Amino acid sequence: MSPQDIQDTRGPKGPTGVDDSAKVTGLGYGRPSGTSPVWLTITKWVLIALVVGLLAIVAQKTIEQGAWVGVVIAAFVAMCVVVVYGTGRSVPLKYLLPGLVLLVALQIWPIAYTVATSFTNYGDGHTFSKQDSVDSIIANSVREVPNTPRYKLSVAVKEKSDPATAEAFYLLTDPAGTTFVGDLTGLNDLPAADVEKAPNGRITKAAGYQILSAIQVNARKDLNSFAVPTKDGGGIKRVGLSEAFEGKANVSYDKTSDTLTDRATGKKYVPLNARWAPVDGQGDPFPQGWKENVGFKNFQNVLTNDTLRSGFLKIFAWNFVFAVVSVGSTFILGMLLALLLNNAKLRGKGLYRSLMILPYALPGFVTALVWSSMFNQDYGLINKMLHLNVDWLGDPWAAKAAILITNLWLGFPYMFIVCTGALQSIPGDVLEAAKIDGASALRTVRSIVMPLLLVAVGPLLIASFAFNFNNFGLIFLLTGGGPFEASDTSIGSSDLLITYAYRLAFSGVSPNYGLAATVSIFIFAFVALMSYQGFRRTKALEDVN
Amino acid sequence: MHKRAIGAAAITGVAALLLGACGSSTTPAAKPTPSATTTTTAAAEPTKPAPPVRDAAADLVIWADADRVPVIQKYADAFGLENNIKVAVQVSTDVRQQFKDATKVDKGPDVIVGAHDWLGELVQNGTVAPVNLSADVAAKFAPQAMAATKFNGQSYGVPYAVENIGLVRNTDLAPTAPATMDALVKAGQALVKSGKATNILIQEVGKTGNAYFTYPYLKAFGGGIFATKANGDYDAAKVIVNSAGSLKGATALQSLGKLKALSTNVDGTNADALFDAGKAPFYITGPWAIDKAKKANIKYAISPLPSLAGGGKMQPFLGVQMFYVSAKAKNAALAEEFVTNYVPREDVQLALFEAGHRPPALTSAYDKVAATDADVKAWFEAGQGGQPMPNIPAMNSVWGPLGQAAADVIAGKTAPKARFDAAQKEIVANIAKG
Repeated sequence: MSPQDIQDTRGPKGPTGVDDSAKVTGLGYGRPSGTSPVWLTITKWVLIALVVGLLAIVAQKTIEQGAWVGVVIAAFVAMCVVVVYGTGRSVPLKYLLPGLVLLVALQIWPIAYTVATSFTNYGDGHTFSKQDSVDSIIANSVREVPNTPRYKLSVAVKEKSDPATAEAFYLLTDPAGTTFVGDLTGLNDLPAADVEKAPNGRITKAAGYQILSAIQVNARKDLNSFAVPTKDGGGIKRVGLSEAFEGKANVSYDKTSDTLTDRATGKKYVPLNARWAPVDGQGDPFPQGWKENVGFKNFQNVLTNDTLRSGFLKIFAWNFVFAVVSVGSTFILGMLLALLLNNAKLRGKGLYRSLMILPYALPGFVTALVWSSMFNQDYGLINKMLHLNVDWLGDPWAAKAAILITNLWLGFPYMFIVCTGALQSIPGDVLEAAKIDGASALRTVRSIVMPLLLVAVGPLLIASFAFNFNNFGLIFLLTGGGPFEASDTSIGSSDLLITYAYRLAFSGVSPNYGLAATVSIFIFAFVALMSYQGFRRTKALEDVN
Repeated sequence: MHKRAIGAAAITGVAALLLGACGSSTTPAAKPTPSATTTTTAAAEPTKPAPPVRDAAADLVIWADADRVPVIQKYADAFGLENNIKVAVQVSTDVRQQFKDATKVDKGPDVIVGAHDWLGELVQNGTVAPVNLSADVAAKFAPQAMAATKFNGQSYGVPYAVENIGLVRNTDLAPTAPATMDALVKAGQALVKSGKATNILIQEVGKTGNAYFTYPYLKAFGGGIFATKANGDYDAAKVIVNSAGSLKGATALQSLGKLKALSTNVDGTNADALFDAGKAPFYITGPWAIDKAKKANIKYAISPLPSLAGGGKMQPFLGVQMFYVSAKAKNAALAEEFVTNYVPREDVQLALFEAGHRPPALTSAYDKVAATDADVKAWFEAGQGGQPMPNIPAMNSVWGPLGQAAADVIAGKTAPKARFDAAQKEIVANIAKG
């Protein structure tokens, strides 16, 4: 869009436009609706109703999940929408509200969540509460008591009672064909004369009982913990719909001493680092741990971690170089191409420009993987075409070069688009003045075009820097952070802080989201500081105008 | 690192948001683990389609990958008809992660189909329930397959297929199966010399290595990854990556690297293509590579891995496919009934074989298939003596360091002893991090 276009679109508004009528109503006539047409008012309220309705659906969903905070938030947003758009009190908020809501949802909330996570031990094996871990350990410790029979099972209730709620009975047939009836008090004989059995021994009819269908058994959630007590302290439990076994939980929980006891071995387990660990220190803790607050432990961990301290400077330096060179190289190439294709005499500009954008339009995943195979030492296109034998992905320096080359290819179209846009917004009269003054083309670019261009794209360069500083996908797909030189896989020679943090947090036995969140807070601090400096510099650039 | 790292990447995504990144922030795909299931789907990873939404109307919900859904659907329908219920079998593109995430918010399925090496992680997060198979039914399965379904002595599912790697050869180039690695190298070298072949042997290594394919070399000399406890479980406290046996295996890797039989430039992205070009006589791989070889009209034969000089036969890890019951199943009774009474049926196991072409875990089903299908028999024999891949969570700490150590040794960067000592140290430290 040329400057003229912008002026054209602004033209028709003005004295008689909507803006002014709004201004008049805003001056204290009270009801803005008084001057708006009826259809506008109706549209407005329909839209408000739609938004509120949408939020009601969201609230309903969150109620189903039992997330009450979500309900409160949805209700609050709905209220804000009604107050802001339904009344004429706050005109600025009408413009700000959507942005504010999105800001909170997409920026503030993730930050708050990340910070909150960084103070916990949340990760695999630490996903639920302590009580859940006890329940899970005990449930998983149920074993079949040796030398006990497997029963054929039919679940029944007394005749003429409600299948959904009445007391349940297990009608059992042991391998010898003897039939029993079991309830919560114990196992009793069921006379063979009273029952009819299927060929496999399962009871199909019993006098005085009503046998439940599959769907009825499934619907009774109380049966999941139902067990017919046996003499040795175990219980007869069902397996599916048609089988029962005598099982016994090997682990018991004592609430007063807060210990788990393994009956088979007599071993006691006590809480240690959010896990149930053996009290004598011998053997493994139970795998099911729980989530708890760990205070500043993750932060301490990051600051005192040996590998982190030893590798930090190296990684940071490369990370910085990577981001700066990536931005610099893509900007220079993008700008040169933009200058070239901005020539008014050039024909077929549209075609060239479309071609330039192609690498940008392809999914980054695909291109990164394609480049990775092109860099293969023995079978890759690059070595074959150039008759080289560079171990692109196995040599530390070559790997860095490979990454920068790939990122140049991936990134220059973006800079090209941005520069093309900015170039077209440079007023023609300035360039003309330079020409009249007798400035050479090079001189014009250096003294006129560049400063004006940088004002426009400066902030974008900083954003691009922040993005590349954390360009996880590229490194991960191209080199995986490697090659690894120091005989360990914690620090790779092409690692960025973010890929390094990823490995640090997830190379343990199980992913540690708490630690990962902590590291990302540190990285956030770095990028924020550097971007702040960058923005201050671009402010200075603006003085050119 | 791991497939479920996708979830982990969510945190990275959060970080990206924090940083107000411009442009489209790309969420990283998981690095494929060498586990048998992921090897086949690694290429499809980055697209990350949305997880299935639990069918609310169904009385039993099963999640499986796209290949198996049609077969399971058939038997699920029969099961539904018999019990007068509605069974929904849904496609999940990443069962392991999607099951974990969905179960956390109580939207998970009742039954999932997946690999046995997920077990430790699933138990750790309390997402799967024990499955009490009666002793006589359990006895109908291959003992190794049953062992794979156990964690801390408790059984958590019913297996249906076993898979492992073996030696695939191009019979046009190599008519007979070599019994030893020396014979393999000799035959391969002769073919390369005469120009008939470009590679002696194809095996996935890559710049970051592959622990799954490294293990058989260590095992051939009595080494391995973990020592076993008295009850047969792997012991996370006893890492044997730098044991005398493992070091001999590492030395074997080094000499194969020197001979260019193994190369870090062969990885998951080009291994199939190299073999299917017909210019490589031998390929150490699993059943997942066969379809492509068939399409490329390669005449192939499958045999057990060769033995290494001075050691024994190379023995692969076994990967077992199984049915799990969710600990948070909304329909626990039906789910257990389906898994304990339907999955062990011979016709079900045979139908699942048709879907995946992996040796069935049920012995009688295997016998039937093996009588007519030479490939399945060959895969089964290649897996003889193999141990199930460890299903303890500590295995997550092994993939990276061991794979890299093997890659470095194959590339000739460092001496085997020093490098595997370092790997041992790193693995032990990672496990200690918990």
